[in-house]
Amino acid sequence: MVGDGEALAPEGLQATIGVVPMGDVGEVAVRIVAAHLQTVLGLAVDILERRPVSDRCYVPDRRQYDAAKLIAALKECSASWPYLKIVAVLSVDLGVPILRFVFGEAEMGGRCAVVSGYRLRRNEDGTDAGLEVYYERLAKVALHETAHTLSLFHCDDPRCLMHFAASTKHLDRIRLFFCARCAFLLKKTVQTLLESHGP
Amino acid sequence: MTGRFKILVADDELIVRESLVAWLKKGGYQVDAASGGGEALESLEKSAYDLLFLDIKMPDMNGIDVLRVVKQRYPGTMVVMITAYGSVESAVEAMKLGANDYLMKPFEPEQLALLVEKLLQHKKLIDENILLREQMATAAVERYQDMIGASPAMQTLFEMVEKVAAVDSPVLIKGETGTGKELVAKAIHARSARRYGPFIAINCGAFTESLLESELFGHEVGSFTGAVKAKKGRLELVRGGTLFLDEVGEIPMKMQVDLLRVLEERRIHRVGGTRDIPVDFRLISATHRDLTKAMEAGHFRRDFYFRLNVLELEVPPLRARREDIPILADFFLRRFRKETNKPVESLDKKAVELLCAYDWPGNVRELENAVERAVVLAKGRILTEDDFAFLKRTVGTVEPQSLEDMERLHIQRILNLCRGNISQAARILKINRTTLHSKIKRYGLTGSA
Repeated sequence: MVGDGEALAPEGLQATIGVVPMGDVGEVAVRIVAAHLQTVLGLAVDILERRPVSDRCYVPDRRQYDAAKLIAALKECSASWPYLKIVAVLSVDLGVPILRFVFGEAEMGGRCAVVSGYRLRRNEDGTDAGLEVYYERLAKVALHETAHTLSLFHCDDPRCLMHFAASTKHLDRIRLFFCARCAFLLKKTVQTLLESHGP
Repeated sequence: MTGRFKILVADDELIVRESLVAWLKKGGYQVDAASGGGEALESLEKSAYDLLFLDIKMPDMNGIDVLRVVKQRYPGTMVVMITAYGSVESAVEAMKLGANDYLMKPFEPEQLALLVEKLLQHKKLIDENILLREQMATAAVERYQDMIGASPAMQTLFEMVEKVAAVDSPVLIKGETGTGKELVAKAIHARSARRYGPFIAINCGAFTESLLESELFGHEVGSFTGAVKAKKGRLELVRGGTLFLDEVGEIPMKMQVDLLRVLEERRIHRVGGTRDIPVDFRLISATHRDLTKAMEAGHFRRDFYFRLNVLELEVPPLRARREDIPILADFFLRRFRKETNKPVESLDKKAVELLCAYDWPGNVRELENAVERAVVLAKGRILTEDDFAFLKRTVGTVEPQSLEDMERLHIQRILNLCRGNISQAARILKINRTTLHSKIKRYGLTGSA
């Protein structure tokens, strides 16, 4: 379901997203991400073999992993994998050169995305968010980043999944749906992709 | 929705540049990158940006120096300085020089998102404000009907138009080619009591004698070969409005008598007809010729001249009101920018000086053509002296060496002045048309510039 109850993948056509657990991210978190991608986007999802987090992507000065480098490494190793999109799920702190931290990162219109639950477990005030909230946040970030790989831009609607959430407080305000405009664009993009790739 | 905003990222560090560009692209903005200050200025010269992210420390050109140039040349571009941790002093200096904000690397995600949104909203308001001010500026004192001019000469002309419009007497407008005589005629019509009637213009120099007669008076069926239908002339069609006879000095003697009769009796006969048709119009005529000389030479009737010249207006040549050149050039630039959709913003000081120093033998029309040509061929956002280099090469500015050169240049100048009208040029040069044709062929001249 893309928007309110609408299936994304046209009937008869199939495409699969590969979800890769990386490092010591929990099994449940990975399964929840996979289930949400499948349900909300309406695309088939395979959970792939767990892989280690590459040390090359670690930035000692910031005690973080560079999300852009992780994507580059993922692209390299997944080149031969038969998946439309690859989403890696991690539990390490992610950053990019210009931003102090990110919840996830994706190539705009590309193939790979990374998401991490590291900063999603706690609320802004430092209190524990609880498992249910944590999993919902992770699912939202995964959907947001995967939609970037499907060429969707940030959205002005503050409740849409494509709205830029700079904090967990923002993330909690967002619903688990795309707004009508983003849902339409997403459906169009996926249709075009499936037609060019075949079922 | 954000796609219309253009952002430039200038940073020498590839990873910072790529990271910021990628993040901004996710917001749907149109983003370009520059690896140094020089490259950033080149990009800004080529196209307009709403927002510039500018690193303070760059090897080729310091961000502060780039900021100075940007604020001077492209004040419409908002600038956010990017600083590294510990270089707040430079950021403060940048803010004093007019930077809109600064960010310290790495940025807080929320801070970056809010800053971009805030600045682009601000930019939108500034653009709206500029647009309104531009509209106000053109509607202000220097504009009267469709004429532009802040010079005393033009202000006097506007006052005269106002006075002349209040009465119904014939008007003769004198002035060189390209000064805007038709615009003056239209302004008189628009301010007169006949403004709800038609304004009909006819260029008397553009028709042969018989065609001009048919155009003015109309014709009945069978009045000449090919007259298969009756046709109303412009004197009939102009009922209740204003008739503008351009190049009135070109009207043949015989027709001058016919028109004189129309002005006195207020009725016409169509060509080949006998029926009296009443006419009701105000006559405005215009000429670039000296009609008193034409009268002395016997080419223009004295009685007709005095009938036309009840009220006289003279439109000054552009060289006599040089202070209007920058206003006119700016007006044409804005018009052609809109028509050609080219991001040309203004003229630099030297280009304006060149335009003001030039003599403009073709007057406002020539200036209009020059600006159009410069806008169409412009490579940058600011028109420079080089964009008007063709003015320096214009015929007449080259010193002729021989008598033959002098003759060639003079004939070309007269042809330009007459816009290629051979008969008119031959009359001015006091040679016959055949001689003029052979000289044109011999010197390889063109009909008009």
